[in-house]
Amino acid sequence: MKLDMPAQKRLALLWALVVCLLVGHNAWLWLGQRIVPDTDILALLPLDERDPVLQQSFTHMVDSAQQRVVVLVGAKEWTDAQRAADAYRAVLAPHGALIKFDAIGDEAQAGWLAGLQRHGSLLVGAAQERQLREEPARFWVDSAMARLYSAFSGPKLGAFRDDPFGLFAGWMQERAGETPVRPRDGRLFVAGEGREYVLLTYTLKQSAFSLGAQGAVVPLLDAATLAARGAVPSAEVIQAGVVLHAAAAGRQASSEIHTIGAGSIIGIVLLTWLTFRSVKPISLIVLAIAIGFLGALSVCWLLFGRIHLLTLVFGASLIGVAQDYGIYFLCHRLGADPQLDSPRLLRRLLPGLGLTLLAAVIGYLGLALTPFPGLRHMAVFSALGLVFAWLTVVCWFPALIGPRTLKMGPLARSYRGLAARWPRFSNQPAALLLALLVLLLGVFVAAGWSRLKVNDDIRSLQSSPPALVRDQIKLSKLLDAPSPVQYYLVRGGSNEEVLQREEALKRRLDPLIKQGDIAGYQALSNWVPSLRVQDERQALIDTRLLAGAGPLAQLAHEIGEDAAWVEATRAHLRANSEPLRLDDFLRTSASEPWRHLWLGKVEGEHASIVALRGMRYASIPSLARAAEGLAGVQWVDKVGGISSVLGRYRANMGWVLLGAYLVVFAVLFPRYRGRTWRVLAPTAMASLLTLALLGFAGQSLQLFHVLALMLLLGVGVDYGIFMQEEHGRGDDAPWLAVGLSAASTILSFGLLGLSGTPALQAFGLTMLLGTALVWLGAPCFTLTKEEPHVSPVLA
Amino acid sequence: MKRIFLAVLLAASCAAGSAHAAAPIARIQAMLAKPEQLCGRFEQSKQLAGMKKPLLSTGRFCVVAGKGVLWRTLKPFPNTLRLKRDEIVHLQGERVAMRLDATQEPTVRMINGVLFSLLAGDLGQLETLFEVDGSVAENGWKVSLKARSAALARAIGAISLDGAAYVRSIQMAEESGDKTTIVFSDIKTGPGAVLPEEAALL
Repeated sequence: MKLDMPAQKRLALLWALVVCLLVGHNAWLWLGQRIVPDTDILALLPLDERDPVLQQSFTHMVDSAQQRVVVLVGAKEWTDAQRAADAYRAVLAPHGALIKFDAIGDEAQAGWLAGLQRHGSLLVGAAQERQLREEPARFWVDSAMARLYSAFSGPKLGAFRDDPFGLFAGWMQERAGETPVRPRDGRLFVAGEGREYVLLTYTLKQSAFSLGAQGAVVPLLDAATLAARGAVPSAEVIQAGVVLHAAAAGRQASSEIHTIGAGSIIGIVLLTWLTFRSVKPISLIVLAIAIGFLGALSVCWLLFGRIHLLTLVFGASLIGVAQDYGIYFLCHRLGADPQLDSPRLLRRLLPGLGLTLLAAVIGYLGLALTPFPGLRHMAVFSALGLVFAWLTVVCWFPALIGPRTLKMGPLARSYRGLAARWPRFSNQPAALLLALLVLLLGVFVAAGWSRLKVNDDIRSLQSSPPALVRDQIKLSKLLDAPSPVQYYLVRGGSNEEVLQREEALKRRLDPLIKQGDIAGYQALSNWVPSLRVQDERQALIDTRLLAGAGPLAQLAHEIGEDAAWVEATRAHLRANSEPLRLDDFLRTSASEPWRHLWLGKVEGEHASIVALRGMRYASIPSLARAAEGLAGVQWVDKVGGISSVLGRYRANMGWVLLGAYLVVFAVLFPRYRGRTWRVLAPTAMASLLTLALLGFAGQSLQLFHVLALMLLLGVGVDYGIFMQEEHGRGDDAPWLAVGLSAASTILSFGLLGLSGTPALQAFGLTMLLGTALVWLGAPCFTLTKEEPHVSPVLA
Repeated sequence: MKRIFLAVLLAASCAAGSAHAAAPIARIQAMLAKPEQLCGRFEQSKQLAGMKKPLLSTGRFCVVAGKGVLWRTLKPFPNTLRLKRDEIVHLQGERVAMRLDATQEPTVRMINGVLFSLLAGDLGQLETLFEVDGSVAENGWKVSLKARSAALARAIGAISLDGAAYVRSIQMAEESGDKTTIVFSDIKTGPGAVLPEEAALL
């Protein structure tokens, strides 16, 4: 390759054209097309594992909950609770366009019972259905007599003759038991822990994740809370909603951007200036990385037509390695003879630069071999990003940085000498000492690793403020709310089949209620039994209560009514046993709180959700087992699902990382031969030690640690290559490049170790430890001048 | 459904507790004796839709402040209803035919709250649920209660009471056509009012 001045200029211009295209394409994508990265973590699962019905059920359960804000305003006395709740509502009332109060239609719902009356004889509580099978006729006569004569014998619906044996009333009582919330004085009421609460629910008009909505709604909620406490000082206000968590996470992120981000930028600028006495280098490096990012995004979008947020964030981090290319060139420019022009200097550096790129790209591309679309996209994204950034360095830097652009700063001067005094592993080491050192390290690493646990639980990544989590827990307990992320998905070829399968599932769940694993379940079949069960019930009621000289006739005898009354009552009850069909029920207002459980027809199947109240986390395995062997019933645990996605990504990425080491070794071997191990050893050792240190620090290994190790391989190999490249004349430019690059890596990625967000902290801590260790270790593996080199420089 | 259930329970409690409901509130409150404990006899007549003959029953009842209400049907067969702060228990002879407590049905405490506030002469509480319309004569008062919410009205229909120092009778007419009339007599107050077997139940 021959690069004379005009050629270099042509190349720079050509690249400028490409960059213009990239910027244009990106502007069109973001501003014109308004593309939005995917955020659904399950989209990261392999294609054949995705299930549209399951997806739909998540949407049903989670999306509606996501827009909700649920508030409990409580006090010792109901009147105080009402006053405080009214004050709370008054603050939010003028902002209906932003957050709307979900009114309770008391009057409108007053008539809903009439809709069920026609089916009343078929609606029987579970306990009474059992009694129908077991109890003798006398039991039912006594029970009816008690209802007849007692003034207030518990719940009663309609006239006596509509429900002489109290079956429909028992069913209603069971349904009422599915929620502790009751209407009271035109409000919703719930009691617990010695307090009475007013329940208020609101719906956000904008997405809970929109920053605008968060910024507007959260202060309003705070003001409303203050107003409630102002009205009743002892009032307790419990608020829960995704928007509160999202806002808290946003607040944490922005405060971290202010502290960590500012520290990071100041550090890097200062470092650059102290090294080069100019901030131009840092802006050029940022430019290279930015072009890498834009290029990667453009090409990925053209290739895949979509991009996941996780790909974007992780891919962008991996592109961070690209800073090394710029730094490598700049450090050499600084140390080189001013007579040597920049294009010629670049030509001399090209083999090393090319190898660093090749090693990183090949390492990252290993991710593409996994079956996970997220990792594949990430591989392509970061590899492309590196290529674009590398090309920017090669095409533009020589033109932008002349021989006299940079001057050596004080930091560079004092740092250069260090390398010479660093301890090294020479080719003729004191074998005993080396063995001892390796043994010591081995013991240390083994001890650290033995303490290293693995934890992929998505909940451990949650960093919501404890007060919010406490409120959330208290609220779900008071409301006895079902879990939105653990439930059963039931499918079938028809509504009837789905209902029958729900009933089969419920028979398995009943013993779990007795054991205390769950408090209860919510299912449409609680309201609308399958037609088969309705038929069975009708037969049961006919034979056990209505037929011949059974309880109905005996009752007539005791109260002195004649056969005509028996016949009339029997006919009346039979007239009220019109089969209840699901579609009809879904049209009544009574079904409103339960409609989300019915998914309807999805992809040619009918599907529904059976939700669980009062679930214990420890019971998840037995709940999962309850679905086993039941046709069309699937246990769904979204938390567990996401955790398992993270776990599989972690494991896969771990293997890819090992493979990447082998591939990089193979790529480097032709050039470095017997020295190849010296290129990789600092990074490998640093990675092992970092894991050991994480083990000692009590950290649990998760995806973000492994991801950081991948990035560490990228930067670490660069350092190894820089240090092994031969540039003659006592050149200390590589040492400077390594130091500068490592320091910037620590300042940019390592400082994330201070983050309060567990994922970023894991990533940052690994980078901090790993980069520092590679930096310290890299010089130990270089050869001194006098030692023989196996391979000549090929440039 | 919750609404209806509540309404039904409230209907029961209001009827049981309406020993003292009245308006114009101040004057009726002045007439009511509000004893700590009160027992007496009742005669109940129920006329149910579709039945020719009314169903008659008699028994004793007790209202004890801070403890609860006991409703003992003695004829035609023994049958007891006991309302306490946190539970409603229905005894058929010795057997517990139904028990409803506040943990499974939160409105139980509310019902009893309404009841106790009635006993304390706190008619303001009653007014939150009913429109209270009444008249006062020299030797007594009459009151009719109309539920404020449609759900409650649908479940219990119309209630009217009359009395003087104590409630003399209650009439309930449900929308379903079932009618109940309860007449109280032989009312005793003070320490001797509650019989030993009743004290044991309360």
